Amino acid sequence: MTATMTPRPVGQRAGRDGFLQLVHAEWTKFRTVRSWVTGMAVTALLVVLVALLAGVSSDQKGSPPVPVGPGGEPVTDSYFLVHQPLAGDGSVTVSVSALESSIPKGPGDLRPGIVPWAKAGLIIKESTRQGSSYAAIMATGSHGVRMQDDYVNDTAGLPGQVSAESPRWLRLDRSGDTITGYASTDGTKWTKVGTAQVSGLGSTVQVGLFVASPPAVEGLGTAGSVSKAVFGDLRLQGGWTGGEWTGEQLGADSPTFAGYPDNGSGSFTQSGGRFTVTGAGDIAPAVRETLPTGGTLRDILTGTFAALITVIVVGALFITTEYRNNMIHLTLAASPRRSRVLVAKAIVLGAVTFVAGLAGAVLAVPLGERLARANGVYIFPVASSTELRVALGTAALLATASILALSVGTIFRHSAGAVTTVLVAIVLPYILTAIPFMPASVANWLAKVTPAAAFAVQQTLVRYDQVASHYTPYNGYYPLPPWAGFAVLAGYAVASLAVAAVLLNRRDA
Amino acid sequence: MSLALHAEWTKMRTVASPLWLLLGTVAATVALGAGATSVVNCTANGCGGDTTKLSLMGVYLGQALVAILAVLIISGEYSSGMIRTTLTAVPRRATVFAAKAVTLTGVVAVAGTAAVLGSVLAGRLILPDLGDRALSLSDGPTLRAVFGTVLYLILIGLLSLGVATAVRDSATSIGVVLGLLYIVPIISQTISDPDWQRLLEKIAPMSAGLAIQVTTDLDSLPISPWAGLGVTAGWAAAALLAGGLLLRRRDA
Amino acid sequence: MFAAPDVHSLAGMEATIEVSGLRKSFGRTVALDGMTFSVRPGLVTGFVGPNGAGKSTTMRVILGLNAANEGTALISGKPYHRLRHPLSHVGSLLDAAALHSSRSARGHLLWLAHSQGMSARRVDEVLELVGLTSAARRKAGGYSLGMRQRLGIAAALLGDPATVMLDEPFNGMDPEGIVWIRGFLRSLAAQGRAVLVSSHLMSELEDTADHLVAVGRGKVIADSSVADLIGAASGSRVAVRTTAPQDTMRVLAVAGATVAAIGRDTITVSGLAPDRIVTVLNEGAVPFSEVSAHRATLEEAYMELTRNAVEFRAAMPTEVAR
Repeated sequence: MTATMTPRPVGQRAGRDGFLQLVHAEWTKFRTVRSWVTGMAVTALLVVLVALLAGVSSDQKGSPPVPVGPGGEPVTDSYFLVHQPLAGDGSVTVSVSALESSIPKGPGDLRPGIVPWAKAGLIIKESTRQGSSYAAIMATGSHGVRMQDDYVNDTAGLPGQVSAESPRWLRLDRSGDTITGYASTDGTKWTKVGTAQVSGLGSTVQVGLFVASPPAVEGLGTAGSVSKAVFGDLRLQGGWTGGEWTGEQLGADSPTFAGYPDNGSGSFTQSGGRFTVTGAGDIAPAVRETLPTGGTLRDILTGTFAALITVIVVGALFITTEYRNNMIHLTLAASPRRSRVLVAKAIVLGAVTFVAGLAGAVLAVPLGERLARANGVYIFPVASSTELRVALGTAALLATASILALSVGTIFRHSAGAVTTVLVAIVLPYILTAIPFMPASVANWLAKVTPAAAFAVQQTLVRYDQVASHYTPYNGYYPLPPWAGFAVLAGYAVASLAVAAVLLNRRDA
Repeated sequence: MSLALHAEWTKMRTVASPLWLLLGTVAATVALGAGATSVVNCTANGCGGDTTKLSLMGVYLGQALVAILAVLIISGEYSSGMIRTTLTAVPRRATVFAAKAVTLTGVVAVAGTAAVLGSVLAGRLILPDLGDRALSLSDGPTLRAVFGTVLYLILIGLLSLGVATAVRDSATSIGVVLGLLYIVPIISQTISDPDWQRLLEKIAPMSAGLAIQVTTDLDSLPISPWAGLGVTAGWAAAALLAGGLLLRRRDA
Repeated sequence: MFAAPDVHSLAGMEATIEVSGLRKSFGRTVALDGMTFSVRPGLVTGFVGPNGAGKSTTMRVILGLNAANEGTALISGKPYHRLRHPLSHVGSLLDAAALHSSRSARGHLLWLAHSQGMSARRVDEVLELVGLTSAARRKAGGYSLGMRQRLGIAAALLGDPATVMLDEPFNGMDPEGIVWIRGFLRSLAAQGRAVLVSSHLMSELEDTADHLVAVGRGKVIADSSVADLIGAASGSRVAVRTTAPQDTMRVLAVAGATVAAIGRDTITVSGLAPDRIVTVLNEGAVPFSEVSAHRATLEEAYMELTRNAVEFRAAMPTEVAR
């Protein structure tokens, strides 16, 4: 046995290739500058403070409740319904020979127009209570026949628009909780469109004709529309009580209902088997435009923008101060492998920012939500996994932005230019998307290719194909999935870090 | 004062970065404005919006470069220590500060005019012929928007100069300035109370000042064009006052 | 090689710096604690003391850069900020690195000249004077420390001032440069200008300074002419050069003298006259090659001077960070 002794300089700790020591050195550098540590604390504080501001400043106490569908999501449940009860199983058949929509072109000036998701058809609904379960089959403005149930489910049927020459026959069969929808072009040859399992209908349900007409998406805004449908050949089978048809506007006071345009109102007329029904509104999940007063986690985390400033300033200063007083010479003398210095700085900065951002987000979200709810604000619901993703994503966004600032600072060796470049690259695209002139295509393009794409990590809203809306970043809908959006920012950070490393190696310090 | 002014002008022209930043301001402003006008859909009825404001949208970006220039004029001297040489040559600190502000105003006025006229010209070339009125300097509101935007850029420069003199560090100064300009409007959107939101839009330096660019739907503005520019001027004056007082009081 | 400028502006101008009772604190650190001295025309005044003694702070207060809590600093009887075209009264060099690194030397001097209403011709004159003409249009960021010092001195001379104040001008200069600055300072004083030069190394001021203001802990601990200082420090001591220092010290000590070895072959003796020393050494048969009156170096004079300033020597003041 021979004892071997490895000489090691006094007081030096073991670290693989010394890289850990390098990270340790950079951490010591960071924490010993008081203003940087303060900057990180301010980062977390800004996220929390803005959340408090958003919560406190909102006051919607006493506003009517937002209808919530069976799945817990906010819904629009406002349309004109002509209905009567059905006890037990049964079926209903009707023809739709016209569906015409009108859109205002000026105050009180209604002109015929196309509302793609105007709906006219049959519905079987648990009750007229807002948000109750249902299944429906309908002709639409330009999406053909659809079978929909419980607000979020949508199945396509026969294509084409309805007219007097080309009517559609629609049928709903109820058997317990199973509702089957059929469509036909002649009233004799039926095609099954879909089957819906609608739980909790109860034995007696409301059955009837409905006409919905969601706001038309025009240019940069929306315009409330109204639609008129002509129904005929109404036939009933099963446990009908033989009551009268009752017409009413459902959900007239709902916050998700935009109301009728001037000179428009809901009505129905009946002559024999022929019904003419006029209605507005929609039966669909609510989106941001139909529920503009609703809050999202993104709104609560708006402080991220303010936090970006401190993070970017500290990130840029972490390297540019070394250049300004030539400390970079000492740093590079201590660790001649320059790219490793840069990576060590990025790791320290990224980790510190991530922790600060996460602390801010984790505190801000529940605080903001609680305050907003206490003031009567409806918050779009999110799964707890989504909430975790938003918090982690916000922290990662801030950390990556700081690394981007570090890299650009290394490239420029100049703090004002670096701070402006990074801040403008991340924030300006967002501001531009919020300008009312910006077409959705441009906004979405900006949110795909610029570092601002990373704000997708804060998206909690769900996009629905069966609801026409401006699904723009401004409204909280990003063109990329959350982590893909983050990857765009990360790509910029990695690319500029690589450029910075090359320049750091090549240039004289 | 004229000597201090001459010195500041010599300082500005003997380094390359101010020229590049001013050229950058022109290029960024014109490019973004041209980009915005080229994506808008115009019909026979018009372009569905305020074409003047649209053409001048580039100042959203251009102002950032003006801010950098203004910040560097003072923080560059602090970071190198040259401020002591400056104050040794001109011991009256208010004179130094005023000379810097006047020099900045001059160069930003020139670059701003070039940027704004370039943007309007680009708008006229890109947008279809909209008749005599639109984007013509003979139109009162358009002329006001054009002239006011140049003033706006000058005021942003002075605001930045004041902030940088108070803060001294360039990175922190530019952070404060861009925060005031860009972040306050974003945060105001989280406030769901419309009265509060309107109030914030009235007092924030960017959203109030850029009211000067609006030529249509003036009634829907939270603040009238000249009053809005006045708010920005108030911000600039406050920043200059704070910076000037601190410059006088502090050891250099 | 480098001619000092003509002194046409000096006529009738009393070139002085008068500092009296300056006090200045940065937070809890006392930087100046009753600093009082004056600088007279025609002399090079050395401003000496360890790092952190308050030399730079005093100079900044003189230039109106820092405000004193108490006391006054006057240039030719006026506070700095009351001077019209101050650079033609006082030329100063505080920090040679305080330049915009992407501006050329000529550009730097040009803006300074314009601030005083001077023309570009004067800029070229001072560039010539300090030997920077060939590098004048290069970016100052690429200059060596020595070149920056020359540029700083050029800036100090730009206004042809009656008073020149330089903070550590020897820092970073090569031997040739040090010789140049010494000659330059001497010629400036010879023209009747008041010259204040700070240094923390006494040897740098050897053969240059006429007068010395030594400071420690923010106040003056000595203010006297260099000749007096050296005379006092030399005292009545005699230097003996010998190949047998041990024997020399023994026989002289026996004869009642106080002896000290100051080199491998040199001994200083006090308490005995030179002729008596020669006699004692001859009687003891101790070989020696030279017996002469000892002349102290400025360094020794300074150490002698500060030996008594117990307070000052007990603890070096902590560096003041501005």
